[in-house]
Amino acid sequence: MVNVSFRNVSKRYENGFSAVNELDLEINDGEFLVLLGPSGCGKSTTLRMLAGLEDITDGEISIGGARVNDLPPGARGIGMVFQSYALYPHMSISDNLSFGLRMQKGEERMSDEEIDNLIVETASMLGLSSELEKKPKQLSGGQRQRVALGRALIKRPRVLLMDEPLSNLDAELRQQMRLEIRRLHDELGMTTVYVTHDQIEAMTLADRIVVLNEGELQQHGPPMEVYRNPSNSFVEGFLCAHLNEIVETANNLFGGEEE
Amino acid sequence: MMGKTRDTVMKHHDNLANLWYVPAEVNTLRNLYPFVLAINLISLCLFYLREDFDSVFSSSMQFFVTLLVLVLLKKLDRGTRFIRDGLIGISGLALLLSILQFMSGPQIFVDLWIMLWSSIPAILVILVASKPDVTLWTSGKQSVNSAEAGLYRNRRISRIHNIILRHIALVHAVTIVVLPILWIVDVAVSPGNSLGGGFFDVITMEHFNKILSSESFWIWARNSVIVSIGTTILGLALAIPAGYAFSRFRFRGRDYAMFSFLLVQMFPGVIILVPYFLVMKALGLLNTSLGLILAYSVTALPLCVWMLKGFFDTVPKELEEAALVDGCSQNQVFWKIILPLSLPAVAVTALFSFLAAWNEFLLALTFNTSEEMYTLPVGLASLISSTGQAWGDFAAASLLVSLPVVILFIAFQRFLIEGLSAGGVKG
Repeated sequence: MVNVSFRNVSKRYENGFSAVNELDLEINDGEFLVLLGPSGCGKSTTLRMLAGLEDITDGEISIGGARVNDLPPGARGIGMVFQSYALYPHMSISDNLSFGLRMQKGEERMSDEEIDNLIVETASMLGLSSELEKKPKQLSGGQRQRVALGRALIKRPRVLLMDEPLSNLDAELRQQMRLEIRRLHDELGMTTVYVTHDQIEAMTLADRIVVLNEGELQQHGPPMEVYRNPSNSFVEGFLCAHLNEIVETANNLFGGEEE
Repeated sequence: MMGKTRDTVMKHHDNLANLWYVPAEVNTLRNLYPFVLAINLISLCLFYLREDFDSVFSSSMQFFVTLLVLVLLKKLDRGTRFIRDGLIGISGLALLLSILQFMSGPQIFVDLWIMLWSSIPAILVILVASKPDVTLWTSGKQSVNSAEAGLYRNRRISRIHNIILRHIALVHAVTIVVLPILWIVDVAVSPGNSLGGGFFDVITMEHFNKILSSESFWIWARNSVIVSIGTTILGLALAIPAGYAFSRFRFRGRDYAMFSFLLVQMFPGVIILVPYFLVMKALGLLNTSLGLILAYSVTALPLCVWMLKGFFDTVPKELEEAALVDGCSQNQVFWKIILPLSLPAVAVTALFSFLAAWNEFLLALTFNTSEEMYTLPVGLASLISSTGQAWGDFAAASLLVSLPVVILFIAFQRFLIEGLSAGGVKG
């Protein structure tokens, strides 16, 4: 069971700015959870605290029942996909993929053979088999995104974290990658936390949506449930009104054509 | 109302070609003449320094005539036929002046160059101003169609003209840089120890043989190599961690520390000479390589730190975070990710501190006074003072001293370009 729980988690910066305020959240094993909110709402900070890239001011985060507050990022059993891909420019794709495996210590250490097998397996899963010897510079945006995903997945992390992974891609690739991410999640079944400000992405990907604003949890629940029963005016405006607007625009466009 | 505005607009459009057309040659001359004027001014100064006052007079006449040509070129336009006629006349005058000046003055290389710069532009102006299409243009009777044809032609011509102008400027720049070096080479391969004489008329290797077979040259070279490599290693060992810390961490006094680095650079090196000397004396480091290594590393440090900090700033923070998630410790992040990525910048910095140490003269002269502790620059200088004026040996030795630098630059060229155009690390 890899469940994640936030208990009373707060993040305050030295200048007094409070990014996250007493967040209580349970993420179930194998769940695809989407943190949704406008920029500056604390969703990225929440994710980064879970990853260990940001100190936790107050409260407790645990993964699989164990408190991780003071563990370094590498010891938390997580994989993370960054918005800007953050591939290592001086390494080949296969080195990029295997870097995390080679950094493992003690009992977790793998033989070169095992690592090579995992590289091949991951690359074929993501359609990167012919790119392994290339450098990140030589790949297209979509391929780089796949490498970033592969690098996070190759360790079979207990929790997969994604920070706006699709926002650097064009519309068509974004659609394609969205489907692929969901497919990978369903295949591998790992607990996933996904941060986005895109309502459509949240609605299509999530098992459960968490809406945040100004560091406060507004509402959480399955996408359609949140859409049908927004608990306050912020959720209503940010999620429901926005989605209705899209539907209306589409209706106007295509409805107008038929007349 | 609308119709009238429209008519005006259309009429304006009909005239566009006429309004915009200026023959490419005229534009080229307009670009060329400021050069001509500048070189006139230089020659004026040259004659004044030579105390050749006849030439100063004719040269200042030349200067005013050139200025007039420049002004007339700017004024030249559609329907200014009389300006064109004036241009031809005045350029003729300029040509005459330059020939007269050349006939009277001493005729060495520089005078020939001055003469070319005053006569050829004048000839060009006369040729261009009397061209049929320039005549047509200045007459003001040019049709729109022919102006359009001219504009079309301009596009091709002006590109070629620009290339020629650029190369004229570049050839001058290169000459200014290369001439002193050629001179040194000439002195090095000429027999005897004079600075004058014919240019590459007799060639001999005696100076090179003498330097290469002299024991002290090799001792100085050894000292220089030890000091320069030591400086590079110590300088980098200090500058890399410092640059990284300044780039990544926010700590109390950070800004002041960065600024104080710059502050040190603002004073001339002589100021620290005496204090350094006293410190070195107290530490017993006079006449040692270690003393120089310490002093050079410290003086090169500020610039190295700033350069490296600038480069580290361009490495995205997300890369480090990705490495942390992949299980690196803060130390491993630096060694496995940041450092390999920064190799070009590190190479540039290394080259910089090596060169600074290799070429430094003042500190080496002050600290290391015994002859077997001289570095190459100090040793070179001693060739001139102690064993008489051995210019030939001096020139040969300076060429030999520059050789490693040239080789280093060629070897590091790829890194230099990468390192100086930093930021190519977007993942």
